[in-house]
Amino acid sequence: MADSLTSRFRIGRLAPGLRTALDAWMARRLKPRSEISLNRKNIYVLPTRNGLLFLLAAGLVFIAAINYAVSLAYGLAFMMVSLFILAILYTFNNLNQLCLARQSTAPVYCGEQIAFNVELRRLPNRAHEALEFTFRDGTSSHADLFAVDRDRVQVFTTATRRGDFRAPLLRVSTSFPLGLCRAWSVLDLGLHCLVYPKPVPFAMEQFTSGNGGGDDSELVQEGSEDFYGLRDYVPGDPLKQVAWKNLARGQGMHVKQFVDYVDSRIWLDWDMFYGFGTEERLSRLCYCVLKLSATGSPFGLKLPGVEIAPDSGARHRNRLLRTLALFGPDHNSAGQA
Amino acid sequence: MTTEVDYQIPRAALSWILLAVMLILAPQSLRMPLWISAIALACIGWRWLIFAGKLGYPGRSLRVLIVIITLLISVTQLRSLGAGLDSAASLLSLGFVFKLIEMRYKRDIYVVISLCFVMAMVQFLYSQTALSTLYIALVVLVITAGMIAVNRSSVSVGSTGTLGMALKMSMQALPLTIVLFLLFPRVAPLWAVPVQNPGNGTGVTDEMSPGDIAQLGRSSSLAFRVQFENTVPPLHENLYWRGLVLDDFDGQTWRRTRRGSSYSQAARLNDFQWNWQDRVRLGDDPIRYNIILEPTQQPWLYGLHLAEPESGNLFQSRNFEIFNNGLITKRLSYDLRSFRNSQTDLVLLDSARRRSTELPETGNPRSHQFARELRASADSDLDFVYAVLAHFQQNEFFYTLNPRLLGDNRVDDFLFNTREGFCEHYASSFAFLMRAVGIPSRVVVGYQGAEYNRFEDYMMVYQYNAHAWNEVWLEGQGWVRFDPTAAVSPERIEQGVEAALRDDPAFLEQSLFSPARLGALGWINTLRLRLDAIEYEWNRRVVNYDEEVQFELLSEVLGEVTEQKVLTLLIALAAVVVAGIALTIISAIPRRQQDPVNRLYRQVGRELERIGLGRHRSEGPLDYCHRVVAARPELAGAMQELTGLYMDINYRHADLPAEQRKRLLTDLKRAVAQLRRLLPAGARLRRSP
Repeated sequence: MADSLTSRFRIGRLAPGLRTALDAWMARRLKPRSEISLNRKNIYVLPTRNGLLFLLAAGLVFIAAINYAVSLAYGLAFMMVSLFILAILYTFNNLNQLCLARQSTAPVYCGEQIAFNVELRRLPNRAHEALEFTFRDGTSSHADLFAVDRDRVQVFTTATRRGDFRAPLLRVSTSFPLGLCRAWSVLDLGLHCLVYPKPVPFAMEQFTSGNGGGDDSELVQEGSEDFYGLRDYVPGDPLKQVAWKNLARGQGMHVKQFVDYVDSRIWLDWDMFYGFGTEERLSRLCYCVLKLSATGSPFGLKLPGVEIAPDSGARHRNRLLRTLALFGPDHNSAGQA
Repeated sequence: MTTEVDYQIPRAALSWILLAVMLILAPQSLRMPLWISAIALACIGWRWLIFAGKLGYPGRSLRVLIVIITLLISVTQLRSLGAGLDSAASLLSLGFVFKLIEMRYKRDIYVVISLCFVMAMVQFLYSQTALSTLYIALVVLVITAGMIAVNRSSVSVGSTGTLGMALKMSMQALPLTIVLFLLFPRVAPLWAVPVQNPGNGTGVTDEMSPGDIAQLGRSSSLAFRVQFENTVPPLHENLYWRGLVLDDFDGQTWRRTRRGSSYSQAARLNDFQWNWQDRVRLGDDPIRYNIILEPTQQPWLYGLHLAEPESGNLFQSRNFEIFNNGLITKRLSYDLRSFRNSQTDLVLLDSARRRSTELPETGNPRSHQFARELRASADSDLDFVYAVLAHFQQNEFFYTLNPRLLGDNRVDDFLFNTREGFCEHYASSFAFLMRAVGIPSRVVVGYQGAEYNRFEDYMMVYQYNAHAWNEVWLEGQGWVRFDPTAAVSPERIEQGVEAALRDDPAFLEQSLFSPARLGALGWINTLRLRLDAIEYEWNRRVVNYDEEVQFELLSEVLGEVTEQKVLTLLIALAAVVVAGIALTIISAIPRRQQDPVNRLYRQVGRELERIGLGRHRSEGPLDYCHRVVAARPELAGAMQELTGLYMDINYRHADLPAEQRKRLLTDLKRAVAQLRRLLPAGARLRRSP
């Protein structure tokens, strides 16, 4: 009963409008920087709900001191106030001089969680404890910079759209040591992450089979690009290609066979998904890219204004995914970065 | 935000908080019924078992049950203990421990922590001694450690680290606490609070039957402490701490004649604020002294005759007793001025004479007869007084705490039969004999003697110093003090009750380690006196620090005390202290390199960062220069020059003579300034202090 009552008075929910406005104001003030050191210019401190409760208790002690004229109860009330003031200083100092730096973040697919990497650094002989990192409305991550000079914290948010995803403002906060007040800072580290379109599975054969010509046997010739399979060892084969693992398992001596695919003529084309919207097309294309690159066949991509020649391999796949992610008028410029 | 459902109070935090709860409840448990302490202990155990996973949190029905139990308990509590501080404190403790079992989330912890502080305050209502303050300080330390442990997420820091931090914070909180304590304006009580006896009142009462004062002789608790101002304290035999005048005798008991219903209605000022100076002839120059009286739950005070109160809120009765306005429920410090050897009531009003010669019409025939015969053989009233005293002295009278019981005719029985008694027996029969022949006389109760504490130059008066003596009105002299006990046992008056009763087994039988007993052991006695000296100073300086003392202190510092001055001083001092502490906590940003050359160069990097050309960490000066020039060709001149100078100073001519180095630095400054001019105004950094 008391729980539900008190939970309505949480500071965080006290004035969501105010907080949004505050964040917006900060966003205007903030310029993205790759490395930010926290100091009195960007740290804010306010009492927590627990702090207000503590002050209420101090007030109670003070009133009792007045009414019963108990000298030491005055002392106790003043001690509580002093502890509160110390809590402000300590909490501020727990963030003060903490240095945060942007680190690169691995790309994800739209709809997944992004783990943004933030590096934490401290000055010698400083300790920063019980730090809490969160993007607005995201889940929080905790870190201590106690024993080590630098550390990495992952802060999570959901990738809500494709493209070069800019992280929301990062909020780093702490209420250590006494929990009576909370110091926080809102930062723009310019964290960003490449978000690929969300792959949407579908029956792929109808789209790709028509484009490919001939059958697989004609397409391959021995080469060195892609692993194709194993064949029996013929004396004279380069030792580099012997499948030593299989040999070790007692499966006989085999040689790894590598092939180069001759032009398979697979093209993924924007127009294959005629009638779909842009994002839906991109999602399906993304699925195709993943599927095809898993088979290892070389394939190319044609988008309005972009044409990427057929190729294979991880690098090719990433290039295609990146192109898909950044496709569209809004993303072209960002794609250069 | 962490969802609170899976919140688990850290083990260390829980240990600290349970420790704090136990510490704060320990002194309280002495005052509340045993079963409440048992419940408290059970709750603490329960909370620990919840943590260990052996028990669950109380469900809804159990919580309702607990509320009902609490209500029932409060009803019975109010019946057995009354609606006073004791029952309030017990109830608070009960609610406190119940909250403990359902302490689940962080906010519950803070409710418990806040309640801990409130409980500490309750403890101060009972006792403000130096020792209990030290104890509460320990509790505050433990609570602070608990708060730190709750918020600490790193498990690598052990309890020693947490305690160390708590200790450091408490020490840092102390200066501000002291400033606030000294300067924060003290306010008069907002509303009247019914203060109930914290503990039983002891001490001299306004009724005296045989055996009453002997009862006090068994107690070694402190009655009051006295410090004389700039004077040598009077001799032991003159230390008669006058309390009450008892002038109504019913054959068994001496009582103080009461007018009005209650002492606490001391506002009946026409009775208390007598125009006393008309009735006295002042004796010696006044001696001033301060008395700190332990709580007595009674309104009267003690002082050397003839005492005039110097503190406010004290009144003098028509018999020159001193009263406080209200019961003394906590230690009271008051200042007195005594004109010793003064004479009072040189003219005795008829009503007063009647009152002080009244005796029951029947009873004690032998004493009546004895008095009449003795008076007949004496020349004057004074002679008669001496004759009675001589009677006590020359016959086999015994001074003892354990006299035989007396029959119905108490005075007769005592004077002619048992002849054993404590001071009240002597005072009572002495006054009886006086009255029997029409000499106005009365009994005075108070304390006699004191123990001197050489460490802080003050005196301690214990309950066993309680005493009763007489005042007899003599023509031309007014009321004169006589002490029949002195006739029986002179050492009682000259050396103190300890000397007089050294061999009496009943003396101090209630206290095993009493001062008078331990007095024999040298070092223990020294230790005891030292401890009491600390306690005394603590009382004088801290516990009694009130509006009045604050005003005196402020007057010394400020001269004329005005609200504005006090507030300014308070704010200024608090600000200075907070700033000072802040400096110790918030480490100033260290100047990593004091070298002006490097500082200038770093500044260039910072300014260029404003236009997106900040220097990377691993970038050498030349690379940086190239990059900047490539991006902003218009900066080429300045940039190249300052880079060249920077490298010259730092690398090429590392061991340059100071003068030449200075010249290069000036050049560098100029180059930097030139670069700044080239930058757009918005990108320019405000000059750093």
